[in-house]
Parts: sequence; structure tokens; C-alpha cells
Amino acid sequence: MAEYELDCLGEACPIPLVKTENKLKELEIGDTLIVIIDHSCALKNVPEWARKHKHEVEVEEIGDGEYEIFIDKTA
Amino acid sequence: MKLSSNKHFQAWFKSPWTYVTGAILLSIFQIVTIASTGSSWGVTGPFATWGAWVYQAFGGSVDHWYFFSTESGQASLQRTFFTDPASVRNLGVIIGALLATLLASQFKFKKIKNMRQVAAAIVGGLLMGYGARIAFGCNIGALYSGIANLSVSGWVFALFMFAGAYVGSKLLVRYFMV
Repeated sequence: MAEYELDCLGEACPIPLVKTENKLKELEIGDTLIVIIDHSCALKNVPEWARKHKHEVEVEEIGDGEYEIFIDKTA
Repeated sequence: MKLSSNKHFQAWFKSPWTYVTGAILLSIFQIVTIASTGSSWGVTGPFATWGAWVYQAFGGSVDHWYFFSTESGQASLQRTFFTDPASVRNLGVIIGALLATLLASQFKFKKIKNMRQVAAAIVGGLLMGYGARIAFGCNIGALYSGIANLSVSGWVFALFMFAGAYVGSKLLVRYFMV
């Protein structure tokens, strides 16, 4: 049940998504990945991709234009 | 109740609109653009015109350049920023984008992560600008407006843009994922 952070601040599409995909491969089932982004299109495609792969996703706005995407690896 | 948690505010200003909504609005505004200015929506055309204006301001002459040899090319040289619909529209796009991000409270100065990002932005920008001019259009003027005008060239542009995007994404994963 470990928790990992992925800092994608200042990075544009599709880098946050590709980094998320790669990082999630290294995690165990039950682990949580927190992706920190400030790019609005990653706010759409990262949760979309994670939900499509049956992971639990929650998004939190932590500041103006900054978000944390919580992904629980379930599969 | 806070404005930011109001569901209408969320739907209109905070959450991204759907692709279908975007497509319908783009189509409506393309019609408005053609009806009011007489030509389709383009973005990069004015870049060349701006360059020519600056060059002329320093005493240069582009009168005999092939690029400006067409009637519309000559006409664009006679206009000023505020009498050139495409230039004003480009300014509008920037102001509109700023307004949208401010309304959603998403405005942010993003920090530069590394020099590679800077280099890629400069090289990519130059290639895109140069490419858009020798192709007589970008993904708006050549692709979107081309297809909207039932021109085959728009589809040809689409085909090669997909090829370019494929190669570009491979390069990106190869050099930017570290």
C-alpha cells in the first residue's frame, strides 16, 4: 500500500500521460500514484486513461491551475 | 455557497467543454468568418505579413517576393494590424484564451523544467512556422479550412500531418521521457 509521487509540473501533453503509464507499471496492486500536473489537457487525458484501465481515480485542485491526480492501482 | 462549487459555473467556466461542443462552435465561427471577412479561418498567414511589415519598416522591400506576388498577398501588405481581419483574430484568440483561463482560475506561470524543453520549443516553433508557410497553411488554414472548403489539399495535409505526428511522438518518447 505504498504511495508514490510523480511531479509533472511544467510538462505538456503527452508527457504527463506517458510518464504516468510507465510509472504505474512499476507499482504493485494496491499502491497509490499521485500525479501532480499544471497542464489542463493532462487533467483530461490522465484520469480518462486511468479509468479506462479500471483504476480508481480522484482529482484534487491544490492551487490555481495545479492538480493532484490520485490513482489507486487495481489491476 | 461558493461560486466555484456552483454547478452552472463548473459546467460553463471550469470544466473543459466536450469535443462535440467545440466542433459545433468551430463550425459556426468558420461560417461567420467566411461571411464577414470573405476568406476562411487561418492563423499563420499573418505571421508572414507581420514579418513583411517589420521588414518594410526598416526600409526593406518584399514587392518582388514570390510569396507576396498574388493579389491577396499584395493586398495584405497594404493593410495595417487593425485593418487586417486575420491579425485581429489572432489577437482575439490570445485574449480569449487568457480570459477563459482566468475565469476558470487556472492561470499560472509555468516553470521551465530543463534546457531541453527550451531547445525543443525553439526548434519546434521554427520548424512549424516555416513548414506552415511553405505549405500555405497550418492545421487551421490548410487542414481545417481546406477540408471545410471541400478541397482535396486539406485531406492530403491531414495524411502527412498524421505521419509527422507519429514520427514526432516517437522522438518525444525517445528524448523527453527521462
